[in-house]
Amino acid sequence: MAIPHALRQHELVHAGEGTGVWSWVTTVDHKRIGILYGVTAFAFLVIGGIEALIIRLQLARPHGAVVGAETFNALFTMHGTTMVFLAIMPLNAAFFNYMIPLMIGARDVAFPRLNALSYWILLLGGLFLNASFLVGAPPNGGWFGYANLTTRQFSPGPEIDFWMLSLQILGASSIMAAVNFIVTILNMRAPGMTLMRMPLFVWMSLVVQFLIVLAFPPITVGLIFLMFDRFFGTHFYDVAAGGDLHLWQHLFWIFGHPEVYILILPAFGIVSEVLPTFSRKPLFGGQVMIYSGVLIGFFGFGVWSHHMFAAGMGPVADAFFAISTMLIAIPTGVKIFNWLATMWGGTIRATVPFHYAAGLVALFTIGGLSGVMHASPPVDLQQTDTYFVVAHFHYVLIGGSLFGILAGASYWWPKMTGRLLDERLGRLGFWVLFAGFNLTFFPQHYLGAIGMPRRIYTYAAGTGWGFWNFWSTVGAFGIAFGVFLFAVNALLSLRRGPPAGADPWDGRTLEWRTSSPPPPHDFDEIPPVYSRDSFWREKYGDSRGRKPTPRPAAPDPHGIHMPAPSHWPIVIALGIVVAAVGALTSLALVLIGAAVLVGGSFAFALEHHRNPAHVRQEGGLGVDHRKLAMWVFLGSECFLFGTLIATYMAYKGRSVVGPHPHEILNLPITTLSTFDLLMSSLLMVLALAAVRRGDRFQSRLWLAGTAFFGLIFLGFQAYEFTSFVHEGLTLQTNLFGSTFFVLTGFHGGHVTLGVIWLLTLLGLDLRGRLGTPDAVKVEVAGLYWHFVDVVWIVIFTLVYLIP
Amino acid sequence: MDLVPSGTLVVRVALAALVLLVGGCAWDGPMSTVVPGSDFARATLWLYALITWITAVIGLLVFVVLLWILVRFRARPEAPLPAQIRGHTLMEIAWTIVPALVLLVIAVPTIQLTFRTQGVAAPRDALRVTVRGWQWWWEFRYPDLDVVTANELHLPVGRAVVLDLEGPDVIHSFWVPRLGGKRDVVPGRHNRIVLTPERPGEHWGQCAEFCGASHANMGLRVIVQASAEFDAWVARQKAAPAEPAGLAAEGKAIFARSACVGCHTIAGVSGGVLGPNLSHFGGRTMLAAGMWPNTPDNVAAWVRDPQRLKPGVKMPDLGLTDEQAKAVAAYLTGLK
Repeated sequence: MAIPHALRQHELVHAGEGTGVWSWVTTVDHKRIGILYGVTAFAFLVIGGIEALIIRLQLARPHGAVVGAETFNALFTMHGTTMVFLAIMPLNAAFFNYMIPLMIGARDVAFPRLNALSYWILLLGGLFLNASFLVGAPPNGGWFGYANLTTRQFSPGPEIDFWMLSLQILGASSIMAAVNFIVTILNMRAPGMTLMRMPLFVWMSLVVQFLIVLAFPPITVGLIFLMFDRFFGTHFYDVAAGGDLHLWQHLFWIFGHPEVYILILPAFGIVSEVLPTFSRKPLFGGQVMIYSGVLIGFFGFGVWSHHMFAAGMGPVADAFFAISTMLIAIPTGVKIFNWLATMWGGTIRATVPFHYAAGLVALFTIGGLSGVMHASPPVDLQQTDTYFVVAHFHYVLIGGSLFGILAGASYWWPKMTGRLLDERLGRLGFWVLFAGFNLTFFPQHYLGAIGMPRRIYTYAAGTGWGFWNFWSTVGAFGIAFGVFLFAVNALLSLRRGPPAGADPWDGRTLEWRTSSPPPPHDFDEIPPVYSRDSFWREKYGDSRGRKPTPRPAAPDPHGIHMPAPSHWPIVIALGIVVAAVGALTSLALVLIGAAVLVGGSFAFALEHHRNPAHVRQEGGLGVDHRKLAMWVFLGSECFLFGTLIATYMAYKGRSVVGPHPHEILNLPITTLSTFDLLMSSLLMVLALAAVRRGDRFQSRLWLAGTAFFGLIFLGFQAYEFTSFVHEGLTLQTNLFGSTFFVLTGFHGGHVTLGVIWLLTLLGLDLRGRLGTPDAVKVEVAGLYWHFVDVVWIVIFTLVYLIP
Repeated sequence: MDLVPSGTLVVRVALAALVLLVGGCAWDGPMSTVVPGSDFARATLWLYALITWITAVIGLLVFVVLLWILVRFRARPEAPLPAQIRGHTLMEIAWTIVPALVLLVIAVPTIQLTFRTQGVAAPRDALRVTVRGWQWWWEFRYPDLDVVTANELHLPVGRAVVLDLEGPDVIHSFWVPRLGGKRDVVPGRHNRIVLTPERPGEHWGQCAEFCGASHANMGLRVIVQASAEFDAWVARQKAAPAEPAGLAAEGKAIFARSACVGCHTIAGVSGGVLGPNLSHFGGRTMLAAGMWPNTPDNVAAWVRDPQRLKPGVKMPDLGLTDEQAKAVAAYLTGLK
């Protein structure tokens, strides 16, 4: 395509055309970050796969002696944690990064540097987790880490520390990325791309981002409780102090079940792109496919306790979660039937991506149906924690997620590299993987039915489990060989694959409209959008063959502006991981890490001011990106504080020793501090109005005033905490102390962050860099500040006012 | 030599594979979930079978349709563009409603059985047993009979039993598949299982919730006996252990002066409560929660070096010589 005038301008100088290592370290190009995600995740997939092979070797025979009990327990813990957080999630993220902007006709994500930050945190967090092997202390509490086994009393070593710190780090990465993609999808769609015209992959990705934003806070809070129990002697998971061990299970599975959909929905999206392309038919019931995906995501939050049918919740809860779980089978079934109907009557080209997509339809059906079996609590009691469940979720996560990912990888490979994969080698790889997978996991249904429990490193010969365990192990090597063949195919393609051209598959969506690989700015001109299969429509017309009248290309009046590279993301990520290493070794290192984190964050934030982004800041919803991001983030924060507050309420009155709330809470003082915080919200409103008006004096006055009132609130809190300590209430005293200090302390932390933010804005203002056009920066800070105040009103009511 | 396998060889290999397949799929293993030995397991299996058949039929239908599609609609060279069908409302409504109806068929008996197996009050004459899951062994207390034992639970056939589950350390899960579904042993919470064993015999069980290093070595046996046999067993448990002689007497002396007494109870000798009650240890068939047959040799090896034999075990090395270990083993296995 002709290079439009705009491209010859200077703005493209930053567009990531460098090739050195440094250009990758500092890249903010969504395509490069996508590749980084993909390569990193594949490496972790190999590591997790090796762990799985050792597990299978150990279990191939009764009384296996390949590894000992402790090593085995570490292997299955690391296998699960790695595959979920470091392989499948980031493999999906690779597609989010690379494909979403291309599929919605955008030039990058909404926050390119934040995107880089998500990646570097993921990489370094993953390395930190795996560094546990190097120091001989790999986590060994299971990927689900049930408390109280994971508390210091029963797991004294650093193993669990590695695990809980890594999970918090990886969670932060996921939430940042999710906020970014929500804003990208909602706000950066090309003109004409209404929500209902978005490709299914983008839709499923959008659902997944919401799931991440809402599901990670509960586990984050659960992990924070665990961290406080292990490091600071609180009692969240301490039965003797009145703690309830179901707490962790609920928090874990409120995250854990949506997590299943976080892992599988992107694959559903990919299949919904691949099947129409290779059947040369539109997706059957496209709208219903969107609604069913949304419904699956929504129901996904209401089924978590089906992981706890054996835990003793009582028949009412069991019945509720049984019904909700069965309900989720309906939209899932609709998806399977619509995929079949998509292929029906088509002209099917059985390419490698089509093989994987059709393989998913078959294998996920098995995984879905066995899922219906454990939806029934009495039946589940015979199946949960057995190999039946192991078979079930591998059918979902390999037969579903991994097959979907491989479908996507082979589908989009030509787009990402500009070269074709070898079809014959690809088909061989598929069949090896398909056979190996079924040989590994289908017999495990049977093993579960004859009673083989999960997470056992050894079993007796008399159990009758030996025969199929042996064949299961053989099959596992088939899976490994299939993945190996895929890698070989990829490498061969990079070296000598034939050129793919822009549109090798006769594609339907916008990514096939640009060159392969796409230029750094994705599209020379933002493409017009006519329908869900917009590119197909341009080529073939609608169902009657009528082609859309081509819209005149509208060159961007301001030229194409790509964001500048930045090294601050990797600096911030380093700070986080150094602090985590410090948490296991020395306080000094924690402080160094924290200093790097804080310094890096300031540099990251202010870089923006020195080098204003030229990327469009408003889009589809007509809301500034930053404001939309803040709203999404606050949604996540609602779940965070909701979990903290719910825990406080659930543990209220369970302390076995005093002091109790009514003996110690100082209502008059706290009423004053509450009033003070509410007044600060008023000043915040005045500050924003002043910035908008351009009234320099007032904006400085009110910004300083808001920060000052925030500081007064913090002073009240410091006074309160000190007086409580004097009266004998600390974190360690009882459940009340633990829940009270962690809840109000977290709120205090948020206020502190808000004060720092306000003072930074004040500094900008004093240096004359907070003009009327910057009002949105104050507005975003204000949203955060008002939210923190509202949270306090809830805390004040529930903790202080209700006896 | 002929390198291509003859037809008969292929048939023989296929037959051998089939035999192996069938042989490999025995359903009546000691921990089978599909050979019910109690009312609870029987009711569960009925529902299990119902759902299995329903899901199997649905799965087969999907596979047949999928295979048909893959064969029938494979593109032929120069195939024209297929009809661009975007959906069919009626069909989509149909395949939303039909699965919902099928699920209803599963849901109704599910809810009924959930309440029936959990909500019921235990019969008055039920035998009460307190089950304690320890890292990594099982303690069984019969409060009404004043009997305490470990790792092997004796139950009379045909009489309802209430298992009260108590967790002194971490979460475990009590599971004897042939007697029914598992139930977690959660410290600080009260869970229970109510069931009536219906067949005499020995059933294997195993902790089903990961509980640390030796989770795999936390097995148990349930010996379901005719009423008279059970009463005889109870009587033996209540009797004072036989006074040892010879090597066994030497073993008793070593036991009494070693760290053993801190954790183990032997009626009349010691009163420790952190480890299994050993008063009638010799009457058990297995050692160390189902790990090995309870023979004098195995017991001697065990007391000599428990740390090596059971990963993470709480029992310390006692520093016994081989001779001392043999004496202790003779004493313990003699406690019938």
